[in-house]
Amino acid sequence: MASPSPYPPGVTKEQAISMAQMEMEYRVELFNKLAQTCFHKCVDKKYKEAELNMGENSCIDRCVSKYWQVNGMVGQLLSAGKPPM
Amino acid sequence: MADSSAAEPTGPTPSTVGSDENATQIQPIRMPTIEEIRAQEVWNNCAVRAVTSGVMGGGLGLMMGLFLGALDNPITNDTMTARQQFVFTAKQMGQRSWNSCKTFAVMGLVFSAAECIVEKARAKHDTTNTAIAGCVTGGSMSARGGPKAACIGCAGFATFSVLIEKFFDRHT
Repeated sequence: MASPSPYPPGVTKEQAISMAQMEMEYRVELFNKLAQTCFHKCVDKKYKEAELNMGENSCIDRCVSKYWQVNGMVGQLLSAGKPPM
Repeated sequence: MADSSAAEPTGPTPSTVGSDENATQIQPIRMPTIEEIRAQEVWNNCAVRAVTSGVMGGGLGLMMGLFLGALDNPITNDTMTARQQFVFTAKQMGQRSWNSCKTFAVMGLVFSAAECIVEKARAKHDTTNTAIAGCVTGGSMSARGGPKAACIGCAGFATFSVLIEKFFDRHT
């Protein structure tokens, strides 16, 4: 072959594209879920002002951090192939 | 409060072609720029908030001290000339307004710092933060009179700050 294939071995171009597409959809879903969850949890529905105040800011920081940790942990558990308890 | 999310029309305006007469102009979502985020982060800092509040409190104390000092009766002392009396009165007014300025500056600083720290720790925005901050301020300011005076100062200042907060909230 003149040039090395940029894809990992055993993966065709169509498969790589569909994998990238699935990954993109997964990321978009993650972002939407994260924003919706943390908004519902942290922001009071009585909108008294347009800016986020400090309590909401720190709540959102903590919410995003925890969500990300949970996401990583669940992903690891699932990918390790452990049988469900 | 400054309105940071000004709606400016970005992107080309869609022209209304024959069939889409009811098409509304949808503005694209404008994510905050990094400068806006940094500006918000500066204001979220407890130290910046406390110092700003202290400075504003100091200014207020200065104004109040000058105003109340001007309301005092001028002392009429026969042993001093008019100019000396004026200088003496001015010095006394300045001293009183400086004391008042210091008191109010400390009050503003402590209150703002306490409220900021409590709100960051609780991650909630309600009047409990104001009450706790008021208690801390009142207690620390009247701590010299003993524990009983500190308790009374705490309760009084907490009530006062909650009332003021409720008063200001009604008008938003």
